[in-house]
Amino acid sequence: MSPSGELLASISSALAVAFVLLACVELGDAATAVGVYRLIQYDLAGAPLGSRAAVINHHAAALPLPAGADLSRSALVAPLLDLPLSFLREYLVEKKHLGGLLILLPTNHGDKESADDKGKVKGVLTELEKLLVHEQVPYPVYFALHDDNFDNLLADIHKIASSGQPASATTGGYKLVVSSAEPRKVSSPTISNIQGWLPGLKGEGDSEQLPTIAIVANYDTFGAAPALSVGSDSNGSGVVALLEIARLFSRLYSNPKTRGKYNILFGLTSGGPYNYNGTSKWLRSFDQRVREGIDYAICLNSVGSWSNDLWMHVSKPPENPYIKQIFEEFSDVSKEMGVSVGIKHKKINVSNPRVAWEHEQFSRFRVTALTLSEMSTPPEFLESTGGLHDTRESTDVESVIRTVRLVSESLARHIYGLKERNIDVFAENSSLAINPHYVRSWLDLLSRTPRVAPFLQKNDPFIAALKKELSEHTTDVHVQSDALDGMFTFYDATKATLNVYQVASVTFDLLFLLVLGSYLIVLFCFLVITTRGVDDLINIFRRPPSRKLKGA
Amino acid sequence: MTVFHFLNCAFLTFGPHVVYYSATPLSEYDTIGTSVKAAAVYLGTALVKLVCLATLLKVPENDSFDPYQELMKVFIGFIDVAGLYFALTQLTHRNISQNHKFQAVGLGWAFADSVLHRLAPLWIGARGLEFTWEYIFQGLEANANLVMTLSLAALGSLMWFRKNKPRTLIPIIYACALLLATMPSITSSLVSLPYYLLGQTYSNIAAT
Repeated sequence: MSPSGELLASISSALAVAFVLLACVELGDAATAVGVYRLIQYDLAGAPLGSRAAVINHHAAALPLPAGADLSRSALVAPLLDLPLSFLREYLVEKKHLGGLLILLPTNHGDKESADDKGKVKGVLTELEKLLVHEQVPYPVYFALHDDNFDNLLADIHKIASSGQPASATTGGYKLVVSSAEPRKVSSPTISNIQGWLPGLKGEGDSEQLPTIAIVANYDTFGAAPALSVGSDSNGSGVVALLEIARLFSRLYSNPKTRGKYNILFGLTSGGPYNYNGTSKWLRSFDQRVREGIDYAICLNSVGSWSNDLWMHVSKPPENPYIKQIFEEFSDVSKEMGVSVGIKHKKINVSNPRVAWEHEQFSRFRVTALTLSEMSTPPEFLESTGGLHDTRESTDVESVIRTVRLVSESLARHIYGLKERNIDVFAENSSLAINPHYVRSWLDLLSRTPRVAPFLQKNDPFIAALKKELSEHTTDVHVQSDALDGMFTFYDATKATLNVYQVASVTFDLLFLLVLGSYLIVLFCFLVITTRGVDDLINIFRRPPSRKLKGA
Repeated sequence: MTVFHFLNCAFLTFGPHVVYYSATPLSEYDTIGTSVKAAAVYLGTALVKLVCLATLLKVPENDSFDPYQELMKVFIGFIDVAGLYFALTQLTHRNISQNHKFQAVGLGWAFADSVLHRLAPLWIGARGLEFTWEYIFQGLEANANLVMTLSLAALGSLMWFRKNKPRTLIPIIYACALLLATMPSITSSLVSLPYYLLGQTYSNIAAT
């Protein structure tokens, strides 16, 4: 063989050996597919907010970023606690483009976490949510649960990044692909309010309607990632408390001898985060006489993580005799229980569309109402409505049970006139004891079900389940559906699958083609030489002898 | 870019066959008909082997090395040899020398093997985004398989065509042929034999 052919052969064989060695060192991981949850996308009075895109098809980048990195063609993967909010704010304010953002939410490690850690995570999550929900984000933002796969992925990305070049089509690395359909508007989102009655005992000669006491809780949530908005405390705890109170009073009311002279109305309302839109529509749907028959309403909002202090929020001044009486009943029971109930007065401004507490909607219809909550100050718009940090771990069954005891004892004393009689109606180990298993199982269920109202259809199985449960304890159960306030428009595509591929760069393919080409050429030459002789090989490349020469 | 990778791996897998055909005198004597017939015989052999494997072998419950199953696989491997015998001797070929006949048959056999075993995984897998070394390994395996088939065909032609073989070489020829025929079984058992032996030693230690 000619020397150049030998050199070529030795180089190509050396490269082949190198490739084989490389293969032994790092055999690529297979593609992983993870479920990811998109940031909410919605329009508020025409202004677009939230993440406006859903498809990601970019190379992955990780923090800390190499200097001068251009992120408009990469998707940034960052664990929650490593993501500096100032960085994010800067990107949003300066309208710098990012290919995509994947935020990894820390999974709870149970007892290993201290209260400080949990508080820190909650603080960061609340801030992040506030930032993202109220801004227009032109690139896709996804949340995923942080696990070992992501740890390996981040480590690998760092390794590639530290070799000097940022990931792109020519240098290989990881590619994140989320193929989701274009997000479309949710057409005619509905809010469904569920109500049930426990009719009181109408005695002989009682021609007038019995007065009604209403117990209300809103069951829907709103958060940065609608597919993760389980709202365990806000307001899963309120819903569970309402169901347990309904169960207890249905036992009392099942026997005519213990049926009180009040009707009890239970309402599970929707549209809470949107200025209690649903409650307003629900009240409007009532006959005026029924509405006027409501003596007072107790609204439950976030009662799942308090230990000593509960707050009663009212819109009528505390000196009002009705409010005073109700507050005294609550105080008496709370003193016996060893907790305290404080009263907070917030005047409603009818011209202000912002409704911070549910009882304000009742007050606008001139019905006396109050809200029991562990929060001492009214939440801001779209805050404390079941966000990312509000998971099962942030609620405990004991608080809900305490709330149930407080409300049901005070209610029983009011209905049966047991003031100053020191009777525990719902005593432990009695047939009317509060059932912790019931509370726990419903709290667990609610903490597994994301309940953002526009994504709950009229015939959603969860609404049917609530209706069925309420009809076990009450009668005349009715689901009233209405359209959500026109100010809000929501877009779907809340969940998607992220595929992580390990890709080879274009240069690798070109190099491989080169090696392959040279291998085939060498093989060809080798075979021609061994079977036909060297002359034949040379003859292939020589021009046929020119006719001119022959002729001349 | 990933179609690029597919094309690369396809060239690696099927290129050598084409190169072999065009480089050697096979193309001059236009032996493509022989190769096609050999490919058809390979198809038949493969089907027979599959049926035998399905009937005779049991599904392994655990990953242990079962010598009886391996022996069974060796016997079924001989069907390969029978097929090659059929292709070399029984089919009518055009007037081509023994030399070229075995090459053409071997080439056709190896090409059919590559296409049947490797084309489908290549088409489905190599076009995806994810990069693995698997298809490059498959291509290298196809190359090795070509060499092995050609040598098996050569040994076959030596065994069945040459009537006046030198006496000393006969056992060597037959031994080599046996080795080549059982090569797939040997490679797979080489992989699993250490685990089998390890298992045996552990059970012996535990028993004592």
